Amino acid sequence: MNMRAEIQRTPAEAAIVDAFGERLSLLPGDGAVMVKRDDAIEQIKAGLPTRRVESWHYTDLRRLLASVPAFDASAEAKPIAALLEGSTLLSIVNGVSAATPSVDGVTFQRLGDKLVDGSYAPALVTYGSDDAVGALNTAFVADGYFVDIEAGTQLEKPIELQNVQAGGQSHVRLPVRVGAGAKATIVERQTGEGAGLASSVSQLLLGDDAEVLWLIVQDQPETATHLAQFKAELGKNAKLTLFVMNAGGKLVRQEVIVKAAGEGADFKLRGVNLLSGESHVDVTMVLDHTVPHTSSTEVVRNVVTGRAKGVFQGRINVHQIAQKTDARMACNTLLLSDDGEFSTKPELEIFADDVACGHGATVTEIDRNHLFYLMARGVDEKTARGLLVRAFLAEVIEELEDETVVEPLEELLSNWFATHG
Amino acid sequence: MPAVQETIEQVRKIDVDQYKYGFESFIEMDKAPKGLSEDIVRFISAKKGEPEWMLEWRLGAYRRWLTLDEPNWARVDYPKIDFQDIYYYAAPKSTPGPTSLDEVDPEILKVYEKLGIPLREQEILAGVEKTVDPDLEEVGDNVYKSGRVAVDAVFDSVSVVTTFKEELAKAGVIFCSISEAIREHPELVKKYLGTVVPTTDNYYATLNSAVFTDGSFVFVPKGVRCPMELSTYFRINEKNTGQFERTLIIAEEGAYVSYLEGCTAPQRDENQLHAAVVELVALDDAEIKYSTVQNWYPGDAQGKGGIYNFVTKRGDCRGDRSKISWTQVETGSAITWKYPSCILRGDDSRGEFYSIAVSNGYQQIDSGTKMIHLGKNTSSRIISKGIAAGFSQNTYRGQVSAHRKATNARNFTQCDSLLIGNQCGAHTVPYIEAKNATAQFEHEATTSKISDDQKFYVMQRGIPEEEAIALIVNGFVKEVIQELPMEFAVEAQKLIGISLEGSVG
Repeated sequence: MNMRAEIQRTPAEAAIVDAFGERLSLLPGDGAVMVKRDDAIEQIKAGLPTRRVESWHYTDLRRLLASVPAFDASAEAKPIAALLEGSTLLSIVNGVSAATPSVDGVTFQRLGDKLVDGSYAPALVTYGSDDAVGALNTAFVADGYFVDIEAGTQLEKPIELQNVQAGGQSHVRLPVRVGAGAKATIVERQTGEGAGLASSVSQLLLGDDAEVLWLIVQDQPETATHLAQFKAELGKNAKLTLFVMNAGGKLVRQEVIVKAAGEGADFKLRGVNLLSGESHVDVTMVLDHTVPHTSSTEVVRNVVTGRAKGVFQGRINVHQIAQKTDARMACNTLLLSDDGEFSTKPELEIFADDVACGHGATVTEIDRNHLFYLMARGVDEKTARGLLVRAFLAEVIEELEDETVVEPLEELLSNWFATHG
Repeated sequence: MPAVQETIEQVRKIDVDQYKYGFESFIEMDKAPKGLSEDIVRFISAKKGEPEWMLEWRLGAYRRWLTLDEPNWARVDYPKIDFQDIYYYAAPKSTPGPTSLDEVDPEILKVYEKLGIPLREQEILAGVEKTVDPDLEEVGDNVYKSGRVAVDAVFDSVSVVTTFKEELAKAGVIFCSISEAIREHPELVKKYLGTVVPTTDNYYATLNSAVFTDGSFVFVPKGVRCPMELSTYFRINEKNTGQFERTLIIAEEGAYVSYLEGCTAPQRDENQLHAAVVELVALDDAEIKYSTVQNWYPGDAQGKGGIYNFVTKRGDCRGDRSKISWTQVETGSAITWKYPSCILRGDDSRGEFYSIAVSNGYQQIDSGTKMIHLGKNTSSRIISKGIAAGFSQNTYRGQVSAHRKATNARNFTQCDSLLIGNQCGAHTVPYIEAKNATAQFEHEATTSKISDDQKFYVMQRGIPEEEAIALIVNGFVKEVIQELPMEFAVEAQKLIGISLEGSVG
């Protein structure tokens, strides 16, 4: 029996390759963009990653992506209210951006325009043969927003980049450049209805001393496939706090690829993953510390119910010159149902000796002592369990401190518990 | 920080050439032709006087091996191995199965003498008093205090001598070479061989199944507590040979056995392959303790030569309340690819893994464990300490998984890495998979260097720097060392000292 049999394309792979042929003439972009698209589809033709590809070990995309819906321009969807009050809202509906608002110190551009004139072509890069999300997105990306925040701008109002999708397919990109010393709060909202397939790639370039709070809130319906990538590069003394909440989707892969490339840079990842039904949610982080004196902390908390499967892979690479790196990672999971599953792979790759790096991972059910403590005080079991699970998650959210951010997120948490608790 | 600078300087100077066991002995050998084919498999089987079923088993594995690809997921890097450039069988000429020590080639005895391995039964390990002719009946269930260790000495492809056989037989324990077991106890071998590591398991295990030449066989019958430590000492001597040994240990209901394994090889420029398979079976209430001190030749300071140590070790806690514990001290080999695992099949069974992996020079270690929880109320513990120095890469790769029915599975994992010098790498790759809500898994990992505070604390008490570092390193690995049988603990501590010589004194 030879394992190296010729790859037989799966229906999903065939659908993607066929769709590319059909849509080629509709996709925006000049020659340089089209070359990138051709390369990307070649990568898909070689087969979607299986569990034998290390970075997809727990998410066998080839097997899990059973079918791919056709592009559907007629599907109706509407933007929803912004998550944070007073936000500047930029929405993308079914993969098409709207007219851009004007804000002092910020330049907004529709990404479709930047594809047409080719100015975005150099940024269409994939990470190698296992970057299936990047390849799929590069092949089909048609729109999105480009946001350029000028150096020194202190944005009072949050910016919300909202991607709403109803069935069909959409592929968007959200490149954001934050100038030196600028400060901003950015919400990336991924939502919609129906059994769609969405790919989204965010690229954040953080200048020296810039400070950003970026919230990714994904609450796609339990029938949707959501493949997303968040890439960021941090300059000197730049600070990035990334908060990720996954509260929906059938097949979700959220990649977080961060490079701490300037001395004094600090990265924080806080994640809350709420899994229910038959969903498969994978959060995969690759963090590179490439220069000395950078720090990072990651706290990811997961709650698994129903027959859901959760995955967290986190890899911290400390490069040889990156002395004095301080990196900490924790992944805690509450497995609440007998049919749920959670797999985690927290990796450390360390080439510098003068560092302090650590990771911790736990998978448990609710602590019986805590439960007993509450029940001994007359709280019934269901309520007690609910309280403990909420406290477990709220801890991460509350760390964001800013009330205007914490409250809407806690409300989302409540909504999820109301339907799944 | 001058102190740190000094340490780094020391590490740079360090020579892996300080390998103590690098001598080569010239002993007349009986070798099979170079290369691998069905004929070689038949040759080995015939040399061993094996029954037909064993030959078929080997051939099946060989045919399977031809269809497999070499695994490439480990974090190790080496030139492709030419499997046709290896001798698969090499045996000292004078040993067509010696019946007593007197018949063994004195040259071989000299080798073991040089290595400090006691093959003469009256000898005991240094520092331990011998009790007056201890009677097994009287010792009963108690720990045997004489400090005697029964040794199976494997020289290249064959077992040259097994000591204390008769005494063990009195207790009902079978301890012999696997070749002998295939001839003398075929029913036991047939029943258990390949049931933990099937011939189809992985590339190197399959290769081993086809060409294994010797190894140890231990059978501890129901209710027997093995009266002494059992030990195998592996020595690769001949050039261009691969050593493929196979060890099978069976502990029946309520039995207990502690088994030690040691290995060395001469210093050579070319790489040599060592692909062993170890299978442990623990039935109800049985306990197996397996300790390894692995000190194969690691290659020279430039990373030339050394042993490729690609080993499959797995224990099957088949019975309820059974326990298997792996303890390893890994200081040798150019490349180590080794994951002693436990399959926790029986309810309430327990698996333990204690490891110290020290890498220096250009050594590459990718080692760890797997704890597969299948039964109810199973528990496991993993303590792994990695120390990387020089230009080495030291990876911990471990899997902990709880299957659907593994109610109340419990694991605690701690893997710490210590980096000495800035040219080495320490990596941690744990895979944690829970499919049962009642599972409780905890994993902790840290990587650091010896902190200046720690060093200052020790040094301000008048202890010189090198000794201070040695103390701290010893403290770092203490949790694992104390799991080793006493005789080995001393050796292991010395070994760690030698491996890091120049950096920790």
